[in-house]
Amino acid sequence: MNKDDRERIIAPEHTLRADKYPLEDYSAIGRRGVRRKDGYEKATGYAVYTTDVQLPGQLMLRILTCPYPHARIKSMDTSKAAALPGVRALLRYDDPELPERADVSGHFGGGTEGHEPVLNRVGYWQGMPMAVAVAADTEDIANEALGLVEIDWEERPFNLDQEEALKPGAPLSNPESFPDGNFVIPAQQREAKVVWGNPDEGFKEADRIIEWRMRKDKENWVGPERPNGLFRWNGEYPEVWLKHQRPHLSKRQIARFFKIPVSQVTVHCLYQGGTFGGWSQMALNMQPNMIAGILSKRTGKPVKWQFTRREDFCGAGMDNARYQVKVGFKNDGVITAVAATSCFARKGFAHLGHFVENTRVHHLLQESNGAVLNIMPGSAFRCEQNMNALCLGAVLNRVAEALEMDPTEVALKNDGVEGRPMADLADLKRAHGFGGDRDSLKECIEVGKKAIEWGGKWHLPGTKRLPNGKLHGMGFTFTHEWSDSSGSGALGMRIERDDGSARILAQRCDNGCAAETAYCQIAADELGFRYEDVHYRQFEEAGFTTMTPDSSTNLTVNGYAIRNAARQLRQKILEIATTPRIPERPDMGYYPPFPDYKPEDLDIKDGVVYVKKDPSKRMTMAELVRPAFFMGKMDIGSTEPLFAWGWQNQQGAFMGTPGPRPIFVRQAHFVEVEVDPETGDIEVTKVVNANDVGKAVNPEGVEGQQYGGSVMGISRARAEDTIYCPATGVVLNGNLIDYKINTMLDCGPIDTIIIETGMGYGPYGSVGIGEDVATVLPSAYYAAVHNAIGAWVDMPTTPDRVLKALGRL
Amino acid sequence: MKNFAHINARSLDEAVTALQRYGKRAAIIAGGTDLLGKMKDEILPAYPEALVNIKTIPGLNLIEEKKGTLSIGALTRLEDIAIDARIIDGYPALAEAARRTASTHLREMGTIGGNICQDIRCWYYRNQNNRFACLRKGGGRCYAIDGDNRYHSIFGGSVEQGCYAVHPSDTAPALIALDATIKTSRRSIKAEDFFQVSVAKTTVLDDDEIVTEIQIPKPAGTSAFVKFALRKAIDFPIVNCAAMVTVSKKKVTAARICLNAVYVKPYRATAAEDAMKGKAINEANAEAAGAAAVSGARPMPYNAYMVQIAKTMVKRAILGCA
Amino acid sequence: MPPICPYCSTTFDAVDKLKTHIIAEHGAEPLPRPEGLIDLMVNGERYELQVEPNVTLYTVIHDRLGLTGVKMFCDRGACGSCTVIMNGRPVLSCMTLAIECDSATIETAEGIAAAKHPLIETYVKHHCMQCGYCTPGFVVTAKALLDRNPNPTEEEIREALSGNLCRCGTYPQHPKAVAEAAKLLQGGEGGTR
Repeated sequence: MNKDDRERIIAPEHTLRADKYPLEDYSAIGRRGVRRKDGYEKATGYAVYTTDVQLPGQLMLRILTCPYPHARIKSMDTSKAAALPGVRALLRYDDPELPERADVSGHFGGGTEGHEPVLNRVGYWQGMPMAVAVAADTEDIANEALGLVEIDWEERPFNLDQEEALKPGAPLSNPESFPDGNFVIPAQQREAKVVWGNPDEGFKEADRIIEWRMRKDKENWVGPERPNGLFRWNGEYPEVWLKHQRPHLSKRQIARFFKIPVSQVTVHCLYQGGTFGGWSQMALNMQPNMIAGILSKRTGKPVKWQFTRREDFCGAGMDNARYQVKVGFKNDGVITAVAATSCFARKGFAHLGHFVENTRVHHLLQESNGAVLNIMPGSAFRCEQNMNALCLGAVLNRVAEALEMDPTEVALKNDGVEGRPMADLADLKRAHGFGGDRDSLKECIEVGKKAIEWGGKWHLPGTKRLPNGKLHGMGFTFTHEWSDSSGSGALGMRIERDDGSARILAQRCDNGCAAETAYCQIAADELGFRYEDVHYRQFEEAGFTTMTPDSSTNLTVNGYAIRNAARQLRQKILEIATTPRIPERPDMGYYPPFPDYKPEDLDIKDGVVYVKKDPSKRMTMAELVRPAFFMGKMDIGSTEPLFAWGWQNQQGAFMGTPGPRPIFVRQAHFVEVEVDPETGDIEVTKVVNANDVGKAVNPEGVEGQQYGGSVMGISRARAEDTIYCPATGVVLNGNLIDYKINTMLDCGPIDTIIIETGMGYGPYGSVGIGEDVATVLPSAYYAAVHNAIGAWVDMPTTPDRVLKALGRL
Repeated sequence: MKNFAHINARSLDEAVTALQRYGKRAAIIAGGTDLLGKMKDEILPAYPEALVNIKTIPGLNLIEEKKGTLSIGALTRLEDIAIDARIIDGYPALAEAARRTASTHLREMGTIGGNICQDIRCWYYRNQNNRFACLRKGGGRCYAIDGDNRYHSIFGGSVEQGCYAVHPSDTAPALIALDATIKTSRRSIKAEDFFQVSVAKTTVLDDDEIVTEIQIPKPAGTSAFVKFALRKAIDFPIVNCAAMVTVSKKKVTAARICLNAVYVKPYRATAAEDAMKGKAINEANAEAAGAAAVSGARPMPYNAYMVQIAKTMVKRAILGCA
Repeated sequence: MPPICPYCSTTFDAVDKLKTHIIAEHGAEPLPRPEGLIDLMVNGERYELQVEPNVTLYTVIHDRLGLTGVKMFCDRGACGSCTVIMNGRPVLSCMTLAIECDSATIETAEGIAAAKHPLIETYVKHHCMQCGYCTPGFVVTAKALLDRNPNPTEEEIREALSGNLCRCGTYPQHPKAVAEAAKLLQGGEGGTR
């Protein structure tokens, strides 16, 4: 480990600058065509997910869900359910073992969402797991038992709309936790109102001011593997299988909940079928595990739980909000001030943050007013920057529309960092350790425009009808890349005794980004090994936390940890190659493999240790480490275990941490659509993603996140919304027929372009890519639809909204 | 899924006998793609005590064309219909309707008999565990009226009690446009008389009656099918439309046009048919026919857009016959 | 235990011989097969299984045979993750009653891999998986396509796979992998990226 690496670990502020020690030559890093480490397992179905685990004698747990949007149980009779043959245990809200309130959230603590009764007597949204849980021999029996529970409900008035809920006289959505009213401030901020600069001044500087209202609806995460878990109480202590992005946090929670030492909790985290954020049931996502734990303890049997697809749909959705936006700008396209007020339903993630991180606009006013509602809680999935990205894209494109300008020009005019124009930031780039002064946004826009033929195809809004009768639209948006989040990564690395290959030992936290493959690429280059000789060994017990706590941008954190471990391990290998194995017994005749050299005289390439000045003096790793000693044939040549560990504490760069670091890498997205004016149907005919990822460690993995994010982004923007019955507050489309996620036929070709300016804060100048495209792309689509029809249509752009905007309704 | 008795019928008689034995407490299973979903969701007014499997009955899986009539056995898979060259050639509305139904897998499982016998689509009716005691479940009201009715009837409710659910079949309107006949275990019924608006069931079939075959006369004219859905696969239609138009000397002499997913049963657009008679197939006439088709529409608060789409579907189906 | 005649207690080495014996010697109908007993040929292995009517083919393959290549995503026939090839057709095992599958021949992703079908390697090569949960369902559907249509067009591939949902959005890669596997099956060189 060099000095910089060590500093990065012990002093997090050192992470606020560029990687000082990238490699000079890359072999595995950045190479195309390396075989995905998880590919075969996943293609063949041998990859094991939590839901695949079955233990002998396991019971199935089912929890009652609230049938109403807001209701309290007056009385509950569980005697018939308990008496049903095959029912082994039942847990009621009034069970003495249940704490009054407990942290079962798993992600953001605080507020009611972090501390709830484990089994509540009151239901605050339809589908909320509550009141009673049954563990039985089969799922069918458990379901039948729940059907036998007799409940006398007291239905309460409910709120489904945040603006209605904030009006005087609106009923209370949650009188137990919010007795004074439904108003709440954002979950991640201390204040409802945040001001940067002087917005009044900014508006005074403006040549023009425009204002509008827009909304964002409640898409759902739809992770393919439904929320599930398995809890086995091994006598004294629990062993738990979790589908969870933050298993090490859950481990701590389990220990706290059951009042046992963390050291005694074993948590297994396997592959995860789609976890685009904290997974569903954000507000209560440890609840079923705790219940399973209690019942496993009581019955002495493993207890498995799994939500139905519908229950999952009712569990948590993305933040939804209405916005009132006001923008002041100069006639040349420079934005002077933005003021935006949101009225959100739960969470209330920041919505003007990207102006701070990403533009020269320095007069900003962000106000967030929220309401507690009787709908599923808000959660962040791919990702909480949704509102930030939407507001930036909308402002940029509205200004372009007002000035009849090309939105890419408006973007370049406003690109910057913390209120300063990008053109002035060469010094800042140097101060953060970046050598060159490349203009990331300009590069993204240039290549992106070329790929989508923007020059010949872009036109003023609502002005182009195609020969097929459809309305043609081109859309664009941009923002910065997700640099990193705060968090720590820790892992081990060792050399396999018999063949000299390397293994990374770390907790599995697989989000599908080919991260384990990328880790092996880094380790291979840092060790001087062939990629094929580096493997990722899932260290099943959560503890080697190979991830950031919220899984964002994991490579930028874990990549450093891998590198730290690899550099130490490499040093150890070279030391062993030049050190006698048993120094005090020279008579045993075993001398160092390279007796006359010092570590610095040697190098490793393709898994072969050799003398730099005389490469004919060489030894493979397998020869160097030698097989293990075994009975009957003593091999005193075998080395001491070759093991190293690495870790990284990363200072976050997102809003809300003191002094966000300036982010210089950008992404630009382009969408082409055709709108059928007679039906309101929108076809996406082309998408171009231009992402400056700094350095692409695994290019195919990067591209996967680009087109994958595009598919998800288009899907959300076109048709995804969790629909509540306005009269009864019940979710109507909680299944994959009525909730419309894209099929293979619903998105046109996607061009993915990778730009590598090296200006990311991750290892080798990299940044994260997994979260952002799905989050940013909807804004480009939104602009494309507007460009086609000349009117703004809120997302999802369902046919009714499009036809209305076209004046057909 | 709760348990039930299961009977593999080896003949039509055996199936009918089994159905008679159980009365309303049995259900027929063929492809099972609609039925099993309903059983998993427990949305049936009464959970079946027995399933009578008719896939084991020989002779019901065939496509034959003779003496100017196409015969399709009730157990014929939708995929087999979609790729059959004779049907693509001579009965394109049906081939296209089959091809646009659901997804590859569901077409490999689902049968034509099952597709026309499938239950209505309504997210209140189908909300899990009979969450809504609607008219079809013996309850007192249709929840769609005050609720979110974006996918409900634009032509009013069922005559007797006012259920606003829609019939979602893609093949049904094609069969009606093609003037097909549905043969059952005891009679022959014209396709357009096969469906009904009762809240008790979607077809005129008796509880112990089984669809055995579909017969389609060789069309005199050309036919076409169009479908509008939010996704290009998997989805049920928001609106679909099939048309069969006969043209003589560039004038339409006969037209059969049927919409679906707009009403409790397939909706024969007779006003559009009348509007086309004696006219040439062109954009303006088709547009007028579309407008005529929806002139009687009475949309609900959330589904006025479906009227516009239905109008367009009628127009495009007619133009597809040119 | 060998099959035993219920009338005379003679033992036989095969059920068929017992049946012939009962008809010939005792003039009786051979014993009806117990209800719910099914014969399945899964990936070339024969299984005899007793199932309740409400058990789906998914449950039998996943929970009892331990083949994790069938995945449950929607549980309602709307996503393709639980696809198996049954008697040549790609079908959804979550919407199929096991009791109706007597004497069926079934292939899962594991069987396709064991047969060294080129789809597996082309899927790996083209990164057709991200979280990987839906991937075996795609592989199985693609295999069924290639069995029937050895040289599909890109449009045909997309159509055939359009009933398989992937939340990670791997869609653009599948046609490449399937086309390349088709080429390899026909003895051609694999396409380049």
